Amino acid sequence: MASFTAYAVQTVNSGLALGSVYGLMALGFSLIYNSSRLINFAQGELLLLCGLTLYSLTQAVQVNPIFALAAAAVCGYGAGFAMYSTTLGLSFRSSPLRQLMLTVAASLTWQGVAILVWGKKPLLLPRLLPIPAVSAGPFYLSADTAASLTMALTAAALLSLFLAKTRYGRAIRAVSMNSLAARLQGVSPTNAHALSFALAGVTAALGSMAVGPQTMLRFDMGLGLGLKGFVAASLGGYDSVWKVFAGGAILGLIEAALVLTFSAELKETLSYALLIGLLLLAKTGRSCPEKA
Amino acid sequence: MAAARARAAGTSLFALLAVLGCVLPDYELLAVSQHLFLAVNVMALNFCLGLGGQVSLAQGAFCGLGAYASALLHPELPGGSLAIAAVVATAVYALAAAVSRPLEKLGEGFLAMATLAVTLIFTNLILSLSPLTGGTAGMMVDSKLSLPFLGAITGDKPYYFLFLGLLLASVLVFARVRASRLGRALLACHDDPEAASACGVNRAAVRSLAFGLGGALSALAGMLQAHYSGFVSPGQYSLELSLKALLFLVIGGPGRILGPIAAVLLLETALSKIHFLGEARVLVHGLLLGLALLWGPVGAFRTGRAGFTNAPGAGT
Repeated sequence: MASFTAYAVQTVNSGLALGSVYGLMALGFSLIYNSSRLINFAQGELLLLCGLTLYSLTQAVQVNPIFALAAAAVCGYGAGFAMYSTTLGLSFRSSPLRQLMLTVAASLTWQGVAILVWGKKPLLLPRLLPIPAVSAGPFYLSADTAASLTMALTAAALLSLFLAKTRYGRAIRAVSMNSLAARLQGVSPTNAHALSFALAGVTAALGSMAVGPQTMLRFDMGLGLGLKGFVAASLGGYDSVWKVFAGGAILGLIEAALVLTFSAELKETLSYALLIGLLLLAKTGRSCPEKA
Repeated sequence: MAAARARAAGTSLFALLAVLGCVLPDYELLAVSQHLFLAVNVMALNFCLGLGGQVSLAQGAFCGLGAYASALLHPELPGGSLAIAAVVATAVYALAAAVSRPLEKLGEGFLAMATLAVTLIFTNLILSLSPLTGGTAGMMVDSKLSLPFLGAITGDKPYYFLFLGLLLASVLVFARVRASRLGRALLACHDDPEAASACGVNRAAVRSLAFGLGGALSALAGMLQAHYSGFVSPGQYSLELSLKALLFLVIGGPGRILGPIAAVLLLETALSKIHFLGEARVLVHGLLLGLALLWGPVGAFRTGRAGFTNAPGAGT
């Protein structure tokens, strides 16, 4: 019994640590997908470059928590906007396939930049937020988990407030529902797309602060992490901030349970197989959705 | 007229490649053989992307499957290369068709992500089955390919002509399929999936056929590559191969034949000459792909469905 409790505690701890990162990535994915119906292949590279920039910043100057958060926000916003203007912003009139391929190109390009500037060695982003480990009764969250979870929950709360209450948030939701009708009401779909990319950049930057201390930052981490975030978003169904976030947390927990049950080597295989299964079950993403 | 001109251009390209094979010194042949290997993979991807309009990133996995299967089967059945090739091609054909069938209902980005997962699964399986596959370190392939009348195949020249023959075969099969009823059904799926279904095309069936053909071709290329390099490792058949195949197919124009092959031969030769690229290779590949998408040939991306993009009317 005691061993089962220890097992559960450890699963929850490590599952939530990565699950929050997946949740943050999934939020970015669904923002972009909802506003523009585009799957952003380069979402993981957004996280990578923001993380590496923050790493360089911590090497150069003393970084306090407030400054770190501000830097992550600015860097993420800028990176997201840059990604928008080099992919979707350039190919409005192209076919969806071509837009998709442009994000694949962006993923390669950004990864290339990361290799050139920061090299191929994994870099450890130090813990930037002073959030202590939490333990209540048998349950225990390590400092990394507590920090990731706090960041992810705060980001999800702020995002959901932003989308529900502000003028710009309403514009994004309007474009997502029907971009022609939104345009007739004076909402610019272009601005809404750009804003959703920029916000996705901010969530990716927060994700990098969460994942950096756990797994280090490596030039080739983007695709795998992006894929996990994408599946988390599909699991959550793309239609509510909290469901999407919960998709990430659940994916993290399942993965953690797989690691402890099977060997770590099989874990990746099983979790990717799970991804395909989930994609097939999810309602979004059909090429010809059934008429409701 | 246009068809005849294309045939003439194709014939002269292959004649040129055959002459090159006879005159080039061995160390140069090695490089061109590698380009031909990539070109076969590009043609394989052409079946599902060029005809069926499905972006797949699973080519690396199919190619690697052929390579590993051949490397593992040859010690068991020495001298049976032709039989092994037939078995491997059929098995990978069946596997690729079976994998792609349920995936057919996924939309563009979703399919690309799912096939990306297929390649990652393959790489991870190779890594976790290390007693059999040698894990990260890979394994040596000591056995030689042997063909009737030719015996054991060694040296750069025979392999060059095998790669060239495989490429020629893939071009002929592709041209044949494209002009057939199957090819027209695939093009219909590509242009408008719903209309194709409405006209009685069994989308899942024809598209999985295209996937299977591409998978089998890639597997044969992987088989040749394994015995040519005498070594198999997960790094050779990873996502990078899938992405490269996609890159050159898009640059050359999906659905075409000579464009993609020329793109591989010219650009790969140019890229391999620039040694100072080194670490910047990934960056250059990304930029090339981006530029090709923005200003390159349109190829089969010519979907005529106005308003299907983010333009007004999208998103309901």
